Amino acid sequence: MTNDADPAGRWVLRPAQHRDLPALEALAQASAIGISSLPPDRDALRQLLALSAKAFSSDDQASGEEVYLFVLEDRARDGALVGTSGIAAAAGFHDHFYSYRNEFIVQASPALGARRRIHTLHLCHDLSGVTLLTGFHIDASLAGTLAPQLLSRGRLLFIARFAARFSDRIAAENPGLSNEQGGCPFWDAVGRRFLDLDYPAAERLGGGRSHKGWIAGLMPQSPIYVPLLPEEAQWALGQLHPVGALPFDILIDEGLDGDTYLNLFDGGPTADGRVALLKTVARRRALLAQAGAAPADPDAGWLLVDNGRQADFRATLLPGSGHALHLRAQAAAALAWQPGEPLWGARLDLPHGSADAREAG
Amino acid sequence: MSPRVHVRAARAADLPLLQPWLRPGAARALPAADARTEAWLVAAGAGDQPLACLRLRHVIGLDLPRHWYHAGWVVHAAPELGLFQRLQTLQLGNDLTGASELADIAWQPMLDRAGQARVLAPLLRGAIAMLRGGMPLPGALPLLIAELPGRRDADGRSPFWQGLGRPFHDGDPAQAAQQLGPAWRSHVAALMPRQPVYAAFLPPGAQAAIGQADPAQAVLADLLGAAGLRPDGHVTIDDGGPVLTAPLQALVPPPTPTAPPPA
Repeated sequence: MTNDADPAGRWVLRPAQHRDLPALEALAQASAIGISSLPPDRDALRQLLALSAKAFSSDDQASGEEVYLFVLEDRARDGALVGTSGIAAAAGFHDHFYSYRNEFIVQASPALGARRRIHTLHLCHDLSGVTLLTGFHIDASLAGTLAPQLLSRGRLLFIARFAARFSDRIAAENPGLSNEQGGCPFWDAVGRRFLDLDYPAAERLGGGRSHKGWIAGLMPQSPIYVPLLPEEAQWALGQLHPVGALPFDILIDEGLDGDTYLNLFDGGPTADGRVALLKTVARRRALLAQAGAAPADPDAGWLLVDNGRQADFRATLLPGSGHALHLRAQAAAALAWQPGEPLWGARLDLPHGSADAREAG
Repeated sequence: MSPRVHVRAARAADLPLLQPWLRPGAARALPAADARTEAWLVAAGAGDQPLACLRLRHVIGLDLPRHWYHAGWVVHAAPELGLFQRLQTLQLGNDLTGASELADIAWQPMLDRAGQARVLAPLLRGAIAMLRGGMPLPGALPLLIAELPGRRDADGRSPFWQGLGRPFHDGDPAQAAQQLGPAWRSHVAALMPRQPVYAAFLPPGAQAAIGQADPAQAVLADLLGAAGLRPDGHVTIDDGGPVLTAPLQALVPPPTPTAPPPA
């Protein structure tokens, strides 16, 4: 099958299982610098899968250390795994979670006729304990379809359903500017002055993008005055690596703000927001679901639909409008839905450039 | 045989001679006749001709705030990795407010090193004697300071200012100093970073200039050292020159060197 297959019920977001290990391994190895939070080796992946399985099946009071790993199946390709994304219930649960916070100071000297707005970076723990959206990977051939929308926003349906397990704030780190030779203007101007390693080596030492406290302990503890940084580094502040544009744009559309926090290593933007104000969370409501073909509906758009279950969580995209939803066999199977069971849905705004995605189906 | 040098107060008739010796930002006017907090002293030689001058301030920073950077150290350590770093920081503050000051020390530019020593030693002795004879003023600390001008490059620019001052104020410091006099550093301090700055963020030239005096100040620096003044970790905000300090009770009137110091 090709990407021309009908998107209705084609992709399914579900919890990752042990049997997904080989496919996840393949995805992790295909990842580029800066975008990965999937561990590159099999043992670490297996460990992550075990942690995730435990989180999805646990009925206990959430402790905050849960990690939830989702995978995206393509039912038009016999259920092949085409993407993955995750949630960490509370950032830095075992440690502080470090970021730089952008702050501005205005200083003036009337006698000198001078007035300056000075950009400073403050090392902070503001996002410790905040729910973190992690590791977004998608098969590159699906980038222009609705699949990335489901892969990213489907997590928010889960968070909305199980709000007590998560913080009321949410954040997502995004890769900053770096090149394939390991050069990173932000790291070279800031981190390297305090820890004389190149950027990939520092990231490896730091345990990926999780910011072990000891690395932060070596960084300047007082605000960094941006005017003192080389121009190239000033320009790189909060700049997104092009490889992160797709997941970043989705989160900004959801209502996250990418202007407040920066990643400690590469200066990439860490987006943050209030869970309750996110588009998909605010729009999610119970649907009146029934089996059968949908009557013709000229207003039908796309709905992100989930079954509200925990270990058997499923989410997919279905055409619809309003509260009534008709499911044909394929859609019912995608959601593991039986007549009489509840479903929830949130309207999806079609991303720019894909307004005719449905007609293509 | 050198002519005898005597120390006296500066007079209006001296001003045309003294003023060209002064750096931009120095005070240029005679203290008020009844001033209790300030004196302008000259060391004069044959024919009562001034050869050097200094302004003695009994208490500083109480009307016009004075600012310095304190050059301190922080240690960043990650013992599990064997990483240990000692990093210099600069913290803007008003630490020396209330001290007395030997300010704007200047001399006849034709004097060689021996000549400088011959006129500066009695000038410093005169200032110390005057300081000891004065009544303690309210708010005064029993501390004397002297700022030494910092390093300049071949074009007369301060690498310290280029590295730390200019990113926060791109106006011409010499011009502003000339125009605003001693107040200029108070005004420019309002534009400088108030939180500690890690020296590692400065260009190498600026880092190297922290606390380093202009080599042309060597004779004065030696005499101030002989008088008991020592660098205490403060530097000036415009060129990073060292601030020397001594408790008043530890001051030693410096003798005039008998042999000319090595060139």
